[in-house]
Amino acid sequence: MVQVTVIDEAPRVVDGAVVDGRIVVTPTALPQALGWELKPEGICRDDVCVPVRDRDALFAGDGLDLAAVAGALGRAVEVDADAAVFAVALPAEARRQALDALTAPPFTLADLDGVPHELAEWRGRKRLLVAFASW
Amino acid sequence: MIAVALDESADDVREFTEGITYPVLLDPEHLLSELYAISNVPTVVWIDEQDRIVRPNSVAFGTDMFKEFTGAEAGPHQDLIRAWVRDGIEPLSPDEARAAVDDLSDDEVRARLHFRIGAHLRRAGDDAAAKRHFDEAGRLAPMDFTIRRAALPLTGGDPFGQDFFGMYEEYQAAGSPFHGLPPTT
Repeated sequence: MVQVTVIDEAPRVVDGAVVDGRIVVTPTALPQALGWELKPEGICRDDVCVPVRDRDALFAGDGLDLAAVAGALGRAVEVDADAAVFAVALPAEARRQALDALTAPPFTLADLDGVPHELAEWRGRKRLLVAFASW
Repeated sequence: MIAVALDESADDVREFTEGITYPVLLDPEHLLSELYAISNVPTVVWIDEQDRIVRPNSVAFGTDMFKEFTGAEAGPHQDLIRAWVRDGIEPLSPDEARAAVDDLSDDEVRARLHFRIGAHLRRAGDDAAAKRHFDEAGRLAPMDFTIRRAALPLTGGDPFGQDFFGMYEEYQAAGSPFHGLPPTT
């Protein structure tokens, strides 16, 4: 067992292992790792289940291969096995929402004092969202 | 206005935000660069009361400070904003808005993942491993300043110096690609 860092919206640590360069977690740790659960119906979250054709392909030994699970969810992945770090892309549907449906995808980010804010906090007002940087 | 800094820490940003009363948020994972397909800053997105994107990604400035460098004046964009806020005038149709922003390629998405891994490893004190990921990210998305320019200060480079000039020449030679509308004239 090692501490594996999973990065989607932010880095977080879960218990896992690195097996043949692949990052694995126990099935019970999958919700904490990726926010989805492996059930008989497939990979599930809330009311949505993604059916899995080849369940065995999700496993590396007894552990769930996070890259395989993310792949089954259609999410791109990059792994640093030496550092036990796993980065998974945000759902592409969120970006489609912006680009195709022209609907602002929600996000939660902290202000400079560390207080989290949601985009929805300002719903009901016209907003200029300005992405900038010190670089 | 909601300003979002694609920066690593609040300290990097605070000097630019003195006197600002509108919300300033920090996005060290560059979530917005993925959610909104943002490839450079400053990028402005107009969002209406019902969360509709009225005018998508555009390069727009608050002042004329960078006019000579980029050819973009602040005035025309500000005129459009006033017309929207006062008279509800939307400067482009939904079809035009949809056509304005190309989706991220698979490589551009993977670049963002490598950038996040690099940022994490740098925070953990492993600069060498971090640099490998920043370099890979830059290789996957060479025209994306939220990747290549943002990584400069994280790898000991200068985003306003020689390291940047070469990158900018490359960018111009490639036709200054940008996921969004060109500067308002």
